Amino acid sequence: MFEYTVLAGIMYGLYFGLVGIGLNLIFGVMRMINLAHGDFIMLGAFLAYWLFHLFGINPLIAIAISCVVFLFLGIAFYYIFVPRLLQSKDPEMLSFILFFGLSQVIEAIIILSFGNNQRSVPSSTFGHSTFSILGNRFPISWLIVTIVAILVFIAVYWYFYHTKLGYATRAIMASRDESLVSGINVNRVSAFAFSIGLILASIAGIFSFFMIGAAYPSMGTNLTVISFAIIVLGALGNPMGTIIGGLIYGLAIMFMQTYLSSWSNLLPYLLLIAIMLFKPEGLIGKTVRSA
Amino acid sequence: MFKLRSLFFSSLMFILIFSATSTFGKSIPSVIKIGTLYASTGPFAKASESQFKGLKFWVHNVNSKGGVFVKAFKKKIPIKLVAYNDQSSTATAAAMYNQLITQDHANILVADFGSVLTSVAVPLAKEHRRLLFDVTGTGAKFFTPDNPYVVLTSLPTSGRWPYTLADFIIKHKINKIAIIYSSNDFDQSQAITLHNKLRKAGVDIVYYNAVPSSTSNYAVLLHSIKAKNPNAVIEFGYPNNDIAFLQNLGSSGLKFNMVFTVFPGQLFKLLKSNVGEQGLAYTYTYPTPPLLRYNKVNLGVGIDEFELAFKAYSGKSPNFLNVAGYNVGLIIKKTLETANRYNQLSFRRAIGKFSGKVFTLNGLFMVNKKGAQIGEILPIAQFVMKDSKLKMNIVYPEKMKTADAVYPAP
Repeated sequence: MFEYTVLAGIMYGLYFGLVGIGLNLIFGVMRMINLAHGDFIMLGAFLAYWLFHLFGINPLIAIAISCVVFLFLGIAFYYIFVPRLLQSKDPEMLSFILFFGLSQVIEAIIILSFGNNQRSVPSSTFGHSTFSILGNRFPISWLIVTIVAILVFIAVYWYFYHTKLGYATRAIMASRDESLVSGINVNRVSAFAFSIGLILASIAGIFSFFMIGAAYPSMGTNLTVISFAIIVLGALGNPMGTIIGGLIYGLAIMFMQTYLSSWSNLLPYLLLIAIMLFKPEGLIGKTVRSA
Repeated sequence: MFKLRSLFFSSLMFILIFSATSTFGKSIPSVIKIGTLYASTGPFAKASESQFKGLKFWVHNVNSKGGVFVKAFKKKIPIKLVAYNDQSSTATAAAMYNQLITQDHANILVADFGSVLTSVAVPLAKEHRRLLFDVTGTGAKFFTPDNPYVVLTSLPTSGRWPYTLADFIIKHKINKIAIIYSSNDFDQSQAITLHNKLRKAGVDIVYYNAVPSSTSNYAVLLHSIKAKNPNAVIEFGYPNNDIAFLQNLGSSGLKFNMVFTVFPGQLFKLLKSNVGEQGLAYTYTYPTPPLLRYNKVNLGVGIDEFELAFKAYSGKSPNFLNVAGYNVGLIIKKTLETANRYNQLSFRRAIGKFSGKVFTLNGLFMVNKKGAQIGEILPIAQFVMKDSKLKMNIVYPEKMKTADAVYPAP
């Protein structure tokens, strides 16, 4: 059982790395907490649901469609909200309020449009078979989600370290003002990074059915809280640190479920408190954030 | 002698006048205000809105006939429904129930769906001496001898739900059981009852654990259960839990001889759309109306007529919670028709009078002295595949049985 728990925890953790990475990217670039992050995950889930049930589109193909949809959505949201926020005296605090409002609006629109029902893409979409690691059997959908998560992490890494846009994004993450002075089109790069954050959230949503059950309009709030715990655990502002945060969360929740199941919902909060007390910069963060 | 007679008649007149004014001296209300809550968001939204829709349908029906007959005033009075959205939050619900009682002065208080959202209404109703019509809040702790201000209308108190399930397991000599339940009043009281009954009968409980109600992944839990090698797995949860549990079970490749979950029998369409027919095949549940067809009724309409009328009203086939919401309306109607006086304790006494004599589309309405519903029986049903279609058979108790259980599941 120990072996099974570790393996399940790693796969579950990689998925939760995917859940959190978009939130961390947006925070890193704009120093704002997107409290509607979970709602964008929910939107990704609903997109996958409708694509599957209306057109029979496989969730893997839905990734490509969601990239296009959320790229435009991200750019639109960015230019509507963020430049104004950044001009205010306290953009971090105002962003809390704004994105909280946005979260409520998204949830309300989905409820009004589609109702409150839970919706699922069947787990048999990827076949009924299971796969085995060290003699432990797991659903095939878990393998696919794990591979997608790893590919996404590689893509994010490649973006940051092997593309001009990625260099510019990292420069903005280091200092927005200096980037502006050095001639980087900060708004354009930030808008693109914001869109990538939403695309990552939507990909997490597409695969939510296989890891966290049915999708429903109010699922976003809980996912935002978990994502926040994960990114604080890894390192706030460092997207790649989210993978560490996700893995720790996944392993910890699987061990809690195995050995102390009734307390497992306390876990995100306990991890958050522990990291704030003992390593506030996050497990792989170097300094305490001063922003 | 004259003085004595005069005193006697004066006293008699005083008593007559006083007793008359105690009912008729109050101005007759132009409407009966029913105060209730519903959740349009959050984990209970689907269930809560269904229940609320059932109640609204009843109000619509009654008002289209001029209102409900109130015996205390000997006339029909229309119903006014005052409802607030608690967003599935107990904190919001507490504030809203308080508003219904103290600001809106609702004459009749109806609880929101389920034990979680009802839990905050019970102490408030008791404190303000307002009779709470509890529709589906079945937590056993709500019903105490010192509280006459709560009546459960549309489901048995949850501690009683597993009676037939326990009997079924014992009768079929299923001797190794795993019980996993969500940590809330509703599921915990079922788990405790089942655990105690099976232990008493010598059944080996090899796994008995609670999980948070927010649990959405049961993969590791299912493997922990499998490691104990039980013959039957009983999962007590809310709809989200049942969906995640059955989905994870379906994709895990694990097999158990018997799997039981609560909500496929109440929200069949929802579970079928999320889990699929294969995911439900050969699992067990508690069937409720409209899966159970009660047509011989002495209050309101039977399930066939209700189904047609509800579909015409809402455009959708009813689920159990629509029935439950409608059923509380029937009980309120009967209460107002029976109560001699227009006050909360008279309402409660009236319910005591007709308890055990009323049969609705939801089954026998019978409450004990604590207000807990004990009349309805929740049989055990099993979903089976027949001609590639999912079919539900009632497999226990014997008097309601439509087919034998397929045990062990193929």
